[in-house]
Amino acid sequence: MSLWRDIRGTILPFWVTLRYLFRRPVTVCYPERKQIPAPRYRGRLILTRDPDGEERCVACHLCSAACPVDCISMQAAEREDGRRYAAWFRINFSRCIFCGLCTEACPTLALQMTAEYELATRELLQVVCEKEELLIDGCGKNDQYNFYRLAGIGVAAPRGSNPGESPPVDIRSNLP
Amino acid sequence: MPTLIIDNQTVTVPEGTNVLEAAKRLGIEIPHFCYHEALGSVGACRLCAVEFREGPVKGIQMSCMTPAKDGMVVDTGSAEVLAYRAQVIEWLMTNHPHDCPVCDEGGECQLQDMTVAGGHGIRRYTGPKRTYQNQNLGPFIVHEMNRCIQCYRCVRTYQDYCGGTDFGVLGSRQRLYFGRFSDGPLESPFAGNLVDVCPTGVLTDKTYRFKSRVWDLQEAPSICPHCSLGCAVTPGARYRQLQRRRARLNNQTNGHFICDRGRFGYGYANHPDRPRYPLVGHRRVTWQEALAAMQSKLQELGELFGSGSIGLLTSSRATLETQFLTKRWAAALGSDQLCFEAHPRRDFASRVAASQQLDRSASLEDVRNCDLAVLIGADPLSEAPMLALALRQAARRGARIVIVDPRPVVLPVAFERHAVSVDKFSQLLRGLGRPQQGDFSSSMEELGGSLANALLAAQRPLLIGGTDLLGPQGTQALQHAAKACSQPEKPCRTMFMLTGPNSFGGALLSANGPGFDSLMEGMEQGRIKALLCFEADPLADYPDRKRSRAALARLDMLAVFDCAATATVQESDFFFPTTTVEESVGTLINNEGRMQTFEQVFSAGTPLAESASGSHPPRFFTRDIPGSEPQSAWGILSALMGRSADLDALRREIEKNDHRFAGLSQLKANGEGRRIAIPSQHPESLPLNIASSIGSDQLQLLVTETLYGSELLSSLSPCLQELIPAPFVTVHPQDATRFKLEEGKKVLLGTPMGDLTLTLRIEGDMVPGVAIVPRLRGTVLEPLVPGTESLPCRIEKV
Amino acid sequence: MNDVLLTFILIVIKLGLVLGTVLSLAAYMVLAERKILGRMQMRHGPNRVGPFGLLQPLADLIKLLCKEDLIPERADRWVFMLAPAISTITALLAFAVIPFAAPLHLFGRTIPMVICDLNVGLLYLLALSSLAVYGVALGGWASQSKYSLLGGLRAMAQMISYELAMGLAIVPVVMSSQSFSLTAIIAAQQTLPNAIRHPLAFLIFVIAIMAESKRTPFDMPEAENELVAGFHTEYSGMRFGMFFVGEYLNLIVLGAMLTVLFLGGWHGPLLPSVCWFLIKVLGVAFFFIWVRGTMPRLRYDQLMAFGWKILVPLGLLNILVTAAWLLWRG
Ligand code: SF4
Ligand code: SF4
Ligand code: SF4
Ligand code: SF4
Ligand code: FES
Repeated sequence: MSLWRDIRGTILPFWVTLRYLFRRPVTVCYPERKQIPAPRYRGRLILTRDPDGEERCVACHLCSAACPVDCISMQAAEREDGRRYAAWFRINFSRCIFCGLCTEACPTLALQMTAEYELATRELLQVVCEKEELLIDGCGKNDQYNFYRLAGIGVAAPRGSNPGESPPVDIRSNLP
Repeated sequence: MPTLIIDNQTVTVPEGTNVLEAAKRLGIEIPHFCYHEALGSVGACRLCAVEFREGPVKGIQMSCMTPAKDGMVVDTGSAEVLAYRAQVIEWLMTNHPHDCPVCDEGGECQLQDMTVAGGHGIRRYTGPKRTYQNQNLGPFIVHEMNRCIQCYRCVRTYQDYCGGTDFGVLGSRQRLYFGRFSDGPLESPFAGNLVDVCPTGVLTDKTYRFKSRVWDLQEAPSICPHCSLGCAVTPGARYRQLQRRRARLNNQTNGHFICDRGRFGYGYANHPDRPRYPLVGHRRVTWQEALAAMQSKLQELGELFGSGSIGLLTSSRATLETQFLTKRWAAALGSDQLCFEAHPRRDFASRVAASQQLDRSASLEDVRNCDLAVLIGADPLSEAPMLALALRQAARRGARIVIVDPRPVVLPVAFERHAVSVDKFSQLLRGLGRPQQGDFSSSMEELGGSLANALLAAQRPLLIGGTDLLGPQGTQALQHAAKACSQPEKPCRTMFMLTGPNSFGGALLSANGPGFDSLMEGMEQGRIKALLCFEADPLADYPDRKRSRAALARLDMLAVFDCAATATVQESDFFFPTTTVEESVGTLINNEGRMQTFEQVFSAGTPLAESASGSHPPRFFTRDIPGSEPQSAWGILSALMGRSADLDALRREIEKNDHRFAGLSQLKANGEGRRIAIPSQHPESLPLNIASSIGSDQLQLLVTETLYGSELLSSLSPCLQELIPAPFVTVHPQDATRFKLEEGKKVLLGTPMGDLTLTLRIEGDMVPGVAIVPRLRGTVLEPLVPGTESLPCRIEKV
Repeated sequence: MNDVLLTFILIVIKLGLVLGTVLSLAAYMVLAERKILGRMQMRHGPNRVGPFGLLQPLADLIKLLCKEDLIPERADRWVFMLAPAISTITALLAFAVIPFAAPLHLFGRTIPMVICDLNVGLLYLLALSSLAVYGVALGGWASQSKYSLLGGLRAMAQMISYELAMGLAIVPVVMSSQSFSLTAIIAAQQTLPNAIRHPLAFLIFVIAIMAESKRTPFDMPEAENELVAGFHTEYSGMRFGMFFVGEYLNLIVLGAMLTVLFLGGWHGPLLPSVCWFLIKVLGVAFFFIWVRGTMPRLRYDQLMAFGWKILVPLGLLNILVTAAWLLWRG
């Protein structure tokens, strides 16, 4: 019985492969035809803006800390109104492995991944992207979130007037 | 010595130790916010809760508030305790802002750590968050009150430990506010410590604002180079820029804290004017060219004029390794014209200080533990700020502090004050050297005698001297006095404030060598044709600038090895850039004779922020780092002598050559250092005569160090600039009346260095007959150098 | 004198023809294999260089020629350098005795369509295939790499084992055609190919040559997931190319052997004999590729057990039966 099964099991696959020989290949021939990636595809990174149109990134260094290949570098700076932002922000895509850990670490939802995957170039410096190249003019995903409206440092609105904040304490009051 | 059981481990601790400390001995870290080793316990944060199963107390208690007792059985991690702590954290977080990404504490925040450790992730409380308005606390500290967790560490540091009065707790119940009555810079010169002690991001370093995250910093144990105390610090650098300094724990010296000069004086390493390239005749060349050019010039001079024509000078800024190799090289060149300090009087005072019986030398820990401190000619806050803080700790433990000084002296603690002019120091010291004797010839001697008796009576007596005012003679007399006031079982300890971080090393190495005066004569007579300065600035540090300028001008060759753009660097024929303390390794010997090594924090190079073009760092690849030419002075010396730059071998050689440095090669940078055991011999007995002749229409000119602006390196730090006062002169009200001067008005001070226009300050708490000016680099007061014998001066209105 | 010269010229012409055909065939065999395997796996296979990827072999050749020729520092240099040549040359030499078409009658001369019609051609073939083991074993040994060494050892053991089965499978053929000459063997199959006459021997031979050529399912010597690339792990550039070409030459040699010994050689209806020969060889090659696309790799112990415990006894039995049958038929 098992001998019959073995022989069948040896012969049958030949039939399978022979049939497949005449099937249409499923490969998409890339440069002529392009795949449309899924919306959550992990491609080129971008920096987004908050609903008020300001840069979302606060240069908190969390993405660069999370990045396993150390390809993000930045320098934080302070605007006159106390807003912390990235004076410069650089992602070296020639090192990036598109793991997405940086976007998971980003507390302000500034850093997001797009579906753009055509990054190959012979010019290495072309894939070393500065803030100007990374920053887009929209919110990307999560278009409601504005970190500075939730933080306590009073940048987007005066201290004590963000949602869920009570007005500043009067330290000279002795009332109970 | 109670014995208790913590988490199934037995430990015996000294009486009075709390359970939190006892657990630390077992390596068990109980989470805590408000407890601090140096500040003690207050039981404010409720985080250090542990469960007591057996013993005098039972149930959940604060481990920081509970002294260890025999028979205690403690569980630091029971389910109930963990739940309790998680709840405490959750309560603390109900008001905590959503700030971590923009908070400079992030990454080194105890609250962050504890929140994560406590497993608190989502805020369940939906009520409003409390908010505060912040205050502007001056150039050093950023205030962000919303983040406060009411642990009281700041107040306890600022008021209790540092003696500041302008920062405290305001408000009541849920509205506690930690700040000042109104906006304004914090007055204490130790305010920077708030950054270290605050467990959250309420008080952060303004000079480090938004510069880095701690995980991106390069850090290593280092030593503060801004005075002779040798406090332990941890500098942090990123992108070739020194970005901050934090205090490092060394129980023998600074303890947990440092002064603001040390914390914020780091800017010199990034100074845009710092010379970073070897220069030959002010032309930029490569190292090889510069070294070769200098070697051939030296050889030429040596052949023409003999080896005695080469003079070598280092300073108290140079490391022990540099000083030792300079000495070696001088020997190799055959020159005996070697000197370790450009200021002869300071030089000899240091040599005397290094020649005392070193077992009587006091560390800052000894200062903190003394019960009577007598300071003669010492102004700790200006000359060695952390000494002032140590004296405060002594006073808090009940010590009596006596200060004998002509200047107005400020300490962060109450003290007994005797305004005595420098002329009277001889009499005072004579009296001080004769305890338990009557027949004093003057009231000054009597004062000295009574202080001597008090020292004899004290349990842990301490004599502190400022070498600038005492000079070599006074220093020696103070040592004799300390000897006289010592009893076998309770020695009278001494501490001297010296010129720089390694004055002691230079003093040990110079022995009976020539002072800079004799080199100066050599240069003037044309005997010395070449001068090699290793991290020394004879133009600024020699008391008579006209004379030093003329002498240096006569040289055939002036070679300077330095890390700052000093006056001497401007005059040099050959210049070699050296590294700063943070950029190299080395050893410094502090004022008590403690050898301490430091490690390299980062490699020298022009900070990226400066070399960056436009809005981002350079977009090209190069092998070489801009501005990375500076090398350690001892490394350059090794190269000049054809040795390999092997630090370990060098340290072993120093040890072998000079048994006073025994143990150097085993020193660890993060340890407590090692005290030199054997003093240098300085046989000469000096005549005690500290006097000056001043005409009746003249004042005695007293140049002193000041907190900000006197010390070379910190005076270059940009963030200290706004604290450097405008040039001023201080006189007694009597003298003000005599010369018809008014407070705040411009006056003309006629000194041997020229006439200077200064602002007048009138101060009652000083001796009459003197005009006191601070040394302020980069101002008209620059040519006046402290530590000089008093000179006459005129003062008049302009 | 004239005759000798003419024979010599003819041999040179034949040599050129065979060499040219075989080498370009080997090159395109690589392409064919990649294409067929690709299609069997619903891929395209190489399709970028030239129309349908037809210039791919050329591109590969250029690439291999341009690559750096690496010799591991601790390798046995000379052996390392010679090993690939051994394996290519032994494969090429085999073609010397293979009759690829019916003898040609031209200008009254009968030109045998074989470079050299040895009367012990079969033994010559066996000898060469034994020699081929050296190339692999020495290459593996000389690389000074554990992967190469293991690959070389496996190849050696495998090839020696299956050579035995192969030899045993040939014996009935020799017995029935009563000659070691390949021309004679082909002649003996004019009516009926040996595959039908000796089916068991045919089966054993097919399996044995598959193992002999180190192809899936018997590619233990270069099992990628265990040995990186087996005996040629350390080879690069054209040296690797020689191993590679050697392998495909071997494929053709074995196909030719199978054709000659069992499939009736160049015999066939209608088409010229050389065409039949080529069709048969290519058919065998296609079959080999098909097997590669279908069968997974065997385990090493299974391989050895199969060779020694099944094929060899079967082969012996087959000889006995054939001998008995031949005797009985007289
Ligand atoms: S995707 Fe991964 S590798 Fe790329 S920048 Fe983000 S963390 Fe780094
Ligand atoms: S984690 Fe987000 S906010 Fe923080 S630096 Fe990166 S991109 Fe900016
Ligand atoms: S204090 Fe700590 S927890 Fe609070 S915002 Fe700053 S880093 Fe975050
Ligand atoms: S400001 Fe900082 S140190 Fe002071 S109570 Fe608040 S959290 Fe504690
Ligand atoms: S550390 Fe004990 S209550 Fe805060």
